[in-house]
Amino acid sequence: MLAIDFGAQGVVVISGRLDAAQAATAQAFLDRIQGTATLDCRGLEYISSAGLGVLLKTQKRLMASAGKLRLSGVNPHLRDILQYSGFDQIFEIETIE
Amino acid sequence: MTATRAFSRSYDALDDLFAFTAAAFASEDIAPGLRLDVDFVLEELFTNVVKYGRSTDAPVRIELAAVDGGVEVTLTDEDADDFDVTRARQADVHAPIEQRQPGGLGLHLIRKLVDHIEYRYIQEAGHAQVTFRKTLREPAHQGGADAGD
Repeated sequence: MLAIDFGAQGVVVISGRLDAAQAATAQAFLDRIQGTATLDCRGLEYISSAGLGVLLKTQKRLMASAGKLRLSGVNPHLRDILQYSGFDQIFEIETIE
Repeated sequence: MTATRAFSRSYDALDDLFAFTAAAFASEDIAPGLRLDVDFVLEELFTNVVKYGRSTDAPVRIELAAVDGGVEVTLTDEDADDFDVTRARQADVHAPIEQRQPGGLGLHLIRKLVDHIEYRYIQEAGHAQVTFRKTLREPAHQGGADAGD
């Protein structure tokens, strides 16, 4: 399952598994974000390519209006997936071990 | 021992698929650290069938077995055309964001994550099979049938 909501100071907190079945839910939430935002991924266990598509679509939209999405609390599994995808060149990423 | 289960070709089956891998990893005593990568590869292969496979009620069967240092997994689409998913076009992960579009990363990431992957089509039965192996060793990153860039 996936949970996504606003946390303190406007940070978006996401947890669970961002897979193909949950991508539409995440996209619908992130489509509401404007400007520069941080996605707190400490509780995000897993992401698939469908989830990567959600992040990329959001980043492209925000950057088109001089904003961006930062990723914080990224676990080693997510870090590897993001690096293999070249997303470390597209996002500011703060990892945790 | 091999754990086997059939799944309907629907995104709604993903939760059951992940529950199956979790149970199989436990029952087959497979290193838990491999499970997220196996889930990732299985999701990519399975959703590929859902998106691009035939519209049919035939199930997608998944077999999972422990091997030395890891796991071997076979996904069988039991009503399939002959299309070798392992030879799909490569993604350009170095392109600037302006040129990137969502999608197309699945096979690239599979190749990064597995030690070995192979495709087989069983003409008489109309079955398309993808078998991959994942161990605690680093991925081989070789050419040919091994998973490489």
